[in-house]
Formats: sequence, structure tokens, C-alpha cells
Amino acid sequence: MVNPIYLFVAALGGAFLIGPADKVNKNLSFWLTVMIVGVMAWISGSWFHFIEKGGESAQVFTAGLRPPVSINLMLGYKEAFILVLSNVAGLLGIFALRKRFMELPAYAMMLYVAMLTGVNGIVMTRDIFNLFVFIEINSIATYALIALEPSRKALSAGFKYMIAGGIASILFLLGTIYIYRLGGTLNIDQLAMLGIADMGKAGWLAAFLLFSSILIELKPFPANGWALDVYQSAHGGVLALISSANAGAMFYALYKVMPILGDQFLGLLAVVGLVTFFFSNLLGTRQHNFKRLLGYSSVGQIGLMMGVYALLTKLGMEQARILIITGAIFVNHFLAKAGLFWMAETIEGEDLTAWGVLRRNPEKLFSFGILLFSLAGFPPFPMFWAKWNIVMGLAEHGSYVALATILLGSMFEIFMLLRWLGVAAKTKTEKESADHYGLEISSRIFMLALIVIGLRASGFFIVNSFNMNTYMLPASAVAMTPLIAGAFIYLIDWLGVKIKAVLTIVLTGVYLYFIIPAVLPLPMLFTAVFGLGGIIIAFASMYRKINVRGFYPLLTMLILSLVNITIANSTLEFFTAWEFMTLSSYLLLMQGKNAQEHALRYVMFSMGAAFLIMTGFAVLYANTGVTDFASLLLGRYPFRWSFILIGLGMLVKMGGIGFHVWLPGAYAEADDDVSTFFSAILSKAAVYGLLLAILVYTINYRGGFDLRSVLGWIGALTAIFGALMAVFQEDIKRLLAYSSMSQLGYIVLALAMADHLGWTAALYITVLHVMFKGMLFLAVAGIVHATGTRLMYRMGGLIKKMPLSFISVLIAIIAVSGVPPLAGFGAKWMLYTGLIQRGWYLRAGIAFFSSAVAFLYLFRLIHSMFLGQLKVEHREVKEASPWLIAPQFALLIGIMVVSMFPTILLKPLSAILPDSIPGQLAWQEGTLLSNLGYWNGSAVMWVTMGVFMLVLLWLILWLRQVKKVGQFNIVYAAEKPFIPETTHYAYNFFPYYQKALGGLIKPRATSFWNGVSEWTASTAGAIRQIYTGNAQTYAMQIFLYIIVLYFIVGVGL
Amino acid sequence: MSHYLILIGNAALTLFIVMNWGLIMGGLIRKIVGRVHGRYGPPIWQPYIDIIKTLGKRTSVIHGTMFFLGPVFRLAGGIGTLMFIPVLYESSIFANFSFSGDILLVMYFIFFGQLGMALGAGESGHPHSPLAVGRGLAQMTAFEVPFALSVISLAMQYGTLSITGIVAAQQGGILNWTLFTNPLATIAALIALQGMNMHSPFDIVLAPQEIPIGPPTEYQSTFLGLLQTNRAIFTGAKLVLFMNLFLGGSSVGAGGFMN
Repeated sequence: MVNPIYLFVAALGGAFLIGPADKVNKNLSFWLTVMIVGVMAWISGSWFHFIEKGGESAQVFTAGLRPPVSINLMLGYKEAFILVLSNVAGLLGIFALRKRFMELPAYAMMLYVAMLTGVNGIVMTRDIFNLFVFIEINSIATYALIALEPSRKALSAGFKYMIAGGIASILFLLGTIYIYRLGGTLNIDQLAMLGIADMGKAGWLAAFLLFSSILIELKPFPANGWALDVYQSAHGGVLALISSANAGAMFYALYKVMPILGDQFLGLLAVVGLVTFFFSNLLGTRQHNFKRLLGYSSVGQIGLMMGVYALLTKLGMEQARILIITGAIFVNHFLAKAGLFWMAETIEGEDLTAWGVLRRNPEKLFSFGILLFSLAGFPPFPMFWAKWNIVMGLAEHGSYVALATILLGSMFEIFMLLRWLGVAAKTKTEKESADHYGLEISSRIFMLALIVIGLRASGFFIVNSFNMNTYMLPASAVAMTPLIAGAFIYLIDWLGVKIKAVLTIVLTGVYLYFIIPAVLPLPMLFTAVFGLGGIIIAFASMYRKINVRGFYPLLTMLILSLVNITIANSTLEFFTAWEFMTLSSYLLLMQGKNAQEHALRYVMFSMGAAFLIMTGFAVLYANTGVTDFASLLLGRYPFRWSFILIGLGMLVKMGGIGFHVWLPGAYAEADDDVSTFFSAILSKAAVYGLLLAILVYTINYRGGFDLRSVLGWIGALTAIFGALMAVFQEDIKRLLAYSSMSQLGYIVLALAMADHLGWTAALYITVLHVMFKGMLFLAVAGIVHATGTRLMYRMGGLIKKMPLSFISVLIAIIAVSGVPPLAGFGAKWMLYTGLIQRGWYLRAGIAFFSSAVAFLYLFRLIHSMFLGQLKVEHREVKEASPWLIAPQFALLIGIMVVSMFPTILLKPLSAILPDSIPGQLAWQEGTLLSNLGYWNGSAVMWVTMGVFMLVLLWLILWLRQVKKVGQFNIVYAAEKPFIPETTHYAYNFFPYYQKALGGLIKPRATSFWNGVSEWTASTAGAIRQIYTGNAQTYAMQIFLYIIVLYFIVGVGL
Repeated sequence: MSHYLILIGNAALTLFIVMNWGLIMGGLIRKIVGRVHGRYGPPIWQPYIDIIKTLGKRTSVIHGTMFFLGPVFRLAGGIGTLMFIPVLYESSIFANFSFSGDILLVMYFIFFGQLGMALGAGESGHPHSPLAVGRGLAQMTAFEVPFALSVISLAMQYGTLSITGIVAAQQGGILNWTLFTNPLATIAALIALQGMNMHSPFDIVLAPQEIPIGPPTEYQSTFLGLLQTNRAIFTGAKLVLFMNLFLGGSSVGAGGFMN
């Protein structure tokens, strides 16, 4: 192995040659720099490889003497890990900066090498004064590199950095002097054993000075204005290294000196870190300048690393686990942030909207997305696994305030990042993106590295914590299937729509074939709903004429992630699949033309829901140590808080009352087949989750206040308010969205009963809802496609043009309304019977009312579209594509069969219910009996059909002369109308109802959530006033910050 | 097989009786209303004359398939509702097909005809039809709630949702009727029934002054005949239901001679 000292030798020696080489040829000096950094990367890489394979760490004693006389260097696993990342980043950074380097004099490259040398030194040295020297080398080179950018801003930013760094240096030196005075050595390892901080006030002060110096370099909120100005104004290539290599090295410096400081500073560091994380992300939400936004994100991530490291250490988690968690955040942040800064430099302009150029560059948008999602903490990226472990660990130690801070901060972070993604994907701009090969390639390489490391991390975490071995495929393969299948279709995305659709269907089918045998009966129902439902949607999507990039990969990923939710055996498996589902559904939604704002709202609520669920799992784990579902179902676990959190998460995801504000926009603005998926299928994921939660709650329920009763009320209110809101919609898809909300309210109500009849009803409604909402949304897809509008009053009379769609909608609305003889009545019968049996009379009354209200919107829906007067512009409209009609009729047949023979659905549904749910269904041949009444679906069907046929026959036989008349031939106050618009009664259909009950449905929830976001924005706006941009103010802030810290922690001593 | 034929035959008998009863009652009410107005009023058999006349029209104007099916739905809904209600207590002849379901089924089957009719009327393209349907639906949501709550209170009171069970619970003297044991539910249901039958003051749906006759505006000839027939049967069915729920049901006496 090469002695690590050559890292410096190569850098310093090479840097001297750059100058002369530059005199010869600019290219020569450039390639020389590449070579120098390449050698450094190779040395650190080979060491990393060596140590990883079990080799010994390297200890270098300069001048051949032992410390404290000489300075020693240490290159162990952690050091090598950081250095290999930093030096590779440095190598790529040269190419990224190539354009600038070619314009600038040779010293730019020398400074660059010096900066990297500083990083290497900071990481390796074990001497505290030497650490100072390397920090200075690194800082001075960095100031200069920042100020090289030809703008006043950059110059002043470099100056501010210098001032901040200067203050930090003074503190560092003072601290070092004291420490040397007290400890008599500068060697870190020797100092660590002395316990400097415990040596009276002087010792504590010395430690505090050292601590605060490094802290300042790590940019804690609010003493970090200077850093944000740097991030805003320097060159992206430089920033990439500042935010990754420099920040990483400083963090490692802190990590190294922590043993000297002792445990006294852990609490302070935890608070400082988490406060920084929280506020950086909060303030970042207001940011429109993308480099500054990245700056906020960088500062926040470093804060998270500090906070988590300190907090978990303080709480006494084992070091190995802490290092894995911190390392995962670190590598995630490192790669993503460097990649993003490089990419940012390729974008001309400062505002987020400048990223609109990515809209026409799908490959670049893809890498951008990967980088953002890794930062936002989606699987399979390391951040996701880290966050899970953090949340579990914090809950385990009861540190819920910190947990809430981290999750809330993460919410801000996700908002900040995904808003950006939305802008990039949706802003229309005429600009072409310029070519920046170096920057592009560097950022792509890091993007790929993130994927690779993400998958490797996933493999590690899955193997260590998953329980999927009951399937015929290995656990990591099962967990990652959605991703792998999606990636596979992404690779062949250039193929035609139909081929990809068929592939999606085949992949889903094959996966189901492998999975189904090992699935338990109750989850299997949902496996089937998701799998078969997905296949139906994939089939229907063949009506698409335009080959939208990314649609089928995401659809496949979504279907398989849903399937994975149902086969999860433990909380982490569930959550991983859940996050894949959130991610892919969000991206599918984004493909809608005007979906930007709604997709953001959707993902915010979904992530809120996910965090609630995760916290619920964590609470459960903390109280019982249980993570696998099998033991949970055995009972005797405290489950109350966990139930509240998980239940709340599921309700948010479902669009329960109060959290429904994301729902209409998302359903309405998604592409039509995607809306179908959302309403008919995706919403059942939350139903499944809620079902599991109630099941576990029921098993563990031992008296006391029964939360299921509250849940019943939530369900009833969701049903009625959803129905009322649906009545007043003009947009057909919004109407159906509210209708879905209402139907899910019934499901929640039925689930809340937690008895056999209630659960059979819930599952029955679930299956029916898949069928009739599938039909309705698919029919609407065809109609919207044909008429080019979603506003119902713009349609009318379409029954003549689209009779098949009409039949489908007709059957579907009869099924929704619950009118016998169709299957919907069975749902109503079981629901009401169950509610009355249970004594939930008022909730039954509300359910009655809401299903009466449903008639209003259902009639409005079918009338405004199909009946009444045909519009002139729709005279040439054709029936919808057979790809859409065929699935509708398949579902229609399903509904008819279930209506005719309800037992074939009800008996299996009743059979798969677990025994822990009390009660039984009593059958007498085809008649379903309850304590109160009875119902025979087949008999109802026969009687109705018989009577209907009889009357029809009579009418047909009796009618003699039938005269078919044309449009407008009506008895209309002695005049013949001729304009469909004035004759078609459709707009504002229920004005009197609005007068009577409209007051109930004022958008209170929307105002509430708008208020939340407005207050958040205002708070962020107010707080960020502290960043004045003035170097003196910043210096002042740093001083005050340190003094305040001193008084907070030092006063007691 | 013969079992089913007997069932169907019995049902046809019930239907015939209820239809005639409904028609005569309709005529009687018109007569009474006429007298109250200070008119002579039509003869009691006027509904028969109306139906024969409308059925006798030679030409029928239709606007499309759904328009055609509207009255079929309506009449089938009326007959069907009757078919699910046991008309006479302890009589197998007049039990109809009440084994198919309990009161919840009847409450929901009432919508069957209304929904089909509303759709048929909608296809005519006449703006008054959906206008009136909208009002009718809005009114329906209003009367459905007191009616449902009243039925729920019966279920609480008698512990059953089966109509026969509810009637059985009221046997043994007039004071056992729901009317006396649960007057509030009866009053609520009575008001709801007014709305259901669109009697004044709940006749805005028909809006006699404003729009010709509400949803059936475009229906004429045989179609109108069907609707008129239905009015008799449907009203009859609802009255039987009301009797059963609140007024002790119609029973054939202790011996049950019609068994």
C-alpha cells in the first residue's frame, strides 16, 4: 500500500508543477491537476478497499517520532470512506470546473488542490494544532475559490466567509492554547483520555472554545448567514465541494474532537443540530433562488447529522448503529448535494423557474429527480433507512420532541425539494439548456453512485431487518421488486404504448403468481384488488395515443409496491412498500397537465401520513419491541397511541374529513386513467392499513375509552360531507373524487364496528367500490377524451353518441346508490343492520342521509353528461375507445354477477375474516340473516327482473305507433328551443340545496390548511429577516451566538 | 316449480286488489279535494277513465331508449315495492315476496322507480324534467332522514327490522300500535309520507303553477298510462307499509280465514 502521506506529497508536489505547466499549455496544467487529484483518489480508494477487505488501518508518524513530539496521521475505515468520497468528488469537480479553469489563471487549480489537501489533512490528522493548520489551508483556499467568481456578490461572500472563518480560527487557537496548557499534549487520542472538560472552569472553557469554533464552521442556525450567502453566489463546481467534502471534513473534525470534550457537549450539540435542521428547512421553503435553497438544504443536512449523532450518543445507542445511521445520512447528503450543485451550475439564471429547461430533457430531469428524492428520504436511498432507524431509536428512548422536530423539519424539506421538482417539470420555458459536459457528467456519475449505494444500503438494511423469507424469492428481491420492475420498463421506455402495457400486465401477473401462494387470506383480498386492479388499469391505458415517458415504469412500480404492502410481514417492510407507493403515485400524478400544485399538496399530505404511520410503528416498537405483524396479531400489546397515529395516517392518506383537501385536486388533475387508479385502487391501500390497525387494536383492546367509536364518527362525517361536497361540483372528476371520499367514509364506518357484519360490509364495499368507481372513472376518461372538457354542463345528450359508456355509468351509479336489485344494496343493508345492531343509531341516521344525498350527485352526473340536449360541437363525437370500454364491461359483468348471486362474494369475504373479529354471518340458503332482519339478494334480483320484464313486455305489446322525434322537439311553452346551451338544465343544478345546506360545507378544512401553510410561510419569512447580508451583522451574530451558548450551558458550572 | 307459480299467482291477486284500491282512493281524494274547493269534482272512477284514455292514444312520441324505459322502471318500481311488503299479517296469500328482505329493502327499493323515471325524463331534453327531478331529489333527502330515524326507532323498539316482525309486535289491541307506543316516530314518518307522496305543502316538485307537471312533462299516451297506473299502485304500497309500521298492520283477525 502507498503510504497515506503521499496524499499530501502528491498534492503539494503536483501543485507546484501546475504553475510552470500552465506557462506551457493550459491543457497541460489542467490534465496535471486531474492527475494529481486522480492519484489522491486512487490512494484513498486503494486504502478503503484494503481496509474494507480486513486490512489494518494506517498510522503515520511524521518525522519518525511518537506523539506528543510529532504529529501522527490516522487512516482507518471511517477516514478512508470520507476521503475516497471527497477525492472522487474532487476529481469529478475538476471536470465540472473545466470551463472556469480554462478561463482563469493557473492559481485557481492550485487553490483547488490546496482545498482538497486541507480536506485530506482535516480528516487524517490526530493532532489538534495540525487540525487547525489544515482547517486554515482548506478555508483560505476556499475563500479564494469563492471569490474567483467574477461578481461582486461572490467577492463579498468570500469576504464574509473569511470573517466567519477568522472568528472560528481565533476561538480554535484560544481553545488549543488552553488545552495544551492543561493537557500538555496536542495529540487528540491522548487528550481524549485526560478529560479536559472536567478540569475545572478553565478546562471547560477550553473545551467550549474548541467546540464552538468547529461548530461555527458547521454553520449552525442562526449564525450561518455568511454560509448561505456563499452558497448563493459561488460557482456550482466550488459549492459542490464546499457542501460535500468541506462540510464532511468539518463534521469529521467535530467527531474527532468530541472525545476530548467529553459528554458534556452532546446535549448542546443535539439541540444545535436539530434546531439548525428544523429552521434551515423551514426557511428554505420560502426560497426561490435555487443555489441558496440548496444552501439551506446543505446546512440542514449537516445539522441533522450533528443532531442525530449527538442525540443518539447521549441516549446511549450503540456506537456501531449510530455510525451506520450518521454514515448513511452523510453519504446520501454528500452525493446528492454535490450532484445537485453541479447540476445547478448548468442552469442559467437564479430563480427556480429557470429549471423549466429540464422539462424538455427527460434524462436530466430523471437524474434531478433521483438526487432530490434521495435528499427527501425516499427508499431505496440511504437517507430513508437512516430516518427509519433514527425514528425507531428516538422512540425507543422516549425522545419524542426530537422525533417530532426531525419529522417536521423533514416535512419542510420535502416541501422545499418537491416544490422545486414541480417547477422544473412543469414550467414552460423557451430556453434551451446549454451544454456543460463536465458538470453534467459529474452530476450523473454521483446520481448513479447514489442509486448503487442506495441499493447496497437497502440490501444491508433489508437483510438485517426484513422477514420476507416466506416467499419464493429472497427478501431483498421482493422488497425491491417495484423499483427493479419499474427500472426495467424505464429502460425500454422507447417502445410503443401497447407493448409496454402488455409488459406491465405480464410483469404484474408473474409477480402475483410467485407471491400469491404465500399470502394469508385476508391480505390476499387486497393483493388481488391491487394486482388485478392494476392489470385492468394497465389494459385500459392502451387507449393512450401519446407515449408519455415514464408512465408505464411508474405504473408498474405503483402496482407492485401496492402488492408489496399486502405481503409485508413487518413494519419496515410495510413502510418501505408504502414509500415506494407514495413516490410512484406522486410522480404519476405529476404527469397530469395542470397537476403541479395538486401533486405537491398530495405528496405533502401523503408524506405527513407516512410520517404519522412511521411514528405509530415507532411507538409500538418502543413500547413492545415488536416489529412483526405475526406477533402483533397474538395480542397483549399496548396499542392505543400507536393506533391513534397509524389510524390518523391512514385517514390522511384516504382523504378522511379534515384531511380531504388534497383529494379533489389530485383526482381531478391526474391523467384520466391515473385518476381511476387513485380512486378505485390506490385508496384501498389506506383501507388495508386501517383494517390492520383496527384488527390489532381490537385484539389488544382491554376496555377503557373505545377509539373505534370515534373512528365511526369520523367515517360517518366523511361520508356525509363527501357526499354534500360532491353535489355542488361542476367538474365531473371532482365530483367523483368527493364521491370516493364519501364511499371511503362508509368503509371507515363499517370497519370501525369491528364485528363480523361490519367487516364483511367494509370488505364488500371495498370490492364494489373498486368495480363501480373503476367503471365510472374509465367511462369519464372516455368522455373527457371525446368532449375535451371536464365540466358537466358543457356536455349533454351524449347517450346517443356514447351508448356503451352510458350503460356502464348507469349500472355503476345504481350500484353506488345502493338501489336494489344491484349489489350496492347489500352494502347498505349490512351497514345499516350492523350500525343499528351495535346501537350506533345516530351514525346510522347520518349514513342514511349521506346515501340519500348521493342520489343528488349521481343523478346530476348522469343527467348532465348523457341526458338532456346534445351540444352542437359534440354532434360528431364517437364512442370511447374499446380499450376503455372493455374493462368497464368486464367490471359491469362482475357487478351483475355479484348482484345476482351475492353469496359468491359474501361467503368468501366472511370466511377470510380473522376469528378475533367477533360474530358470524348466519345464512339460510341464499338469505343472509341478522339479529334484526334478513336479505336475499338473488330473490330481490329475480322479483325485480320479473316485474320489469312484465311491464316492458306489456309496453312493447301495447304500443302501436311509435314516433321518434328529434332534438328540441319538446312541449316547451309554445316555442321551439334551438340552442342546446339554454335548453340543457345542468349548470348550478341544486341552487336551492346550496342555500339550504351549503353553509355546512364552507371550505373550513381548506382554510385551515391554507392557514397552516400561510403561517408557516410567514414565520419563515419573518425569521429569515435575520439574514441581512451584512458582514458586520453576521460577525455580530456569530459572537452573540457563542455568548448565548456559553450562558446557556456554562452558567451552571 | 308449482310453489313459484302459486307465489306469482298470489302476488298477482294482491297487485290487482291494491291497484284497484289505489285507483279508487285516488278518485275519492280528487272528489274530496274538488268538494273542498267548492267544485263538484270528477267522478270516483275518473282515474280509470284517465288510464283507458291515455292507453288508447294511437301515436306515442319517444325521445330515445332511456325515455322509453323510464315509465317501465317507474311501474316496475311501484309493483316491486308492493311485492316486497307483506300486505296482510299472518296471511301467506298476501305475504308477496317479502321473504326477499326486510324494511331496509323496501326503503331502498322505493328509489328504483324514481331513479329510472328521472333518467327517462332526462332524456326527453325538456329542461323542466331535470329541474323537477332535482327538486324531487332534494326533497327526498329531506324526508328520508326523518323516515329513516323513525324506522331506526322502530328497530330499537321492537328489536327487528322485519316488517312482519314489526306488525307482530303491535298485535293484541289498538294501544299496542306504534301510533300510541311511539307517537313521535309516527308523526315524523307521517310528515315524511306527505313528502314522499308529494302532497301539499310538499308539492313543489310538481310545481303546478310554474312548470307543467314536473318530471313527466314529456310523457304522453301509453307512457302516461303506465305512470298513472303506477301512481295508484305505488301510493297503495306506501300506505300498506305505513299501516304495517305504525297502525298495527292489516290483519285478517284471529282465525286467519284466508290462510
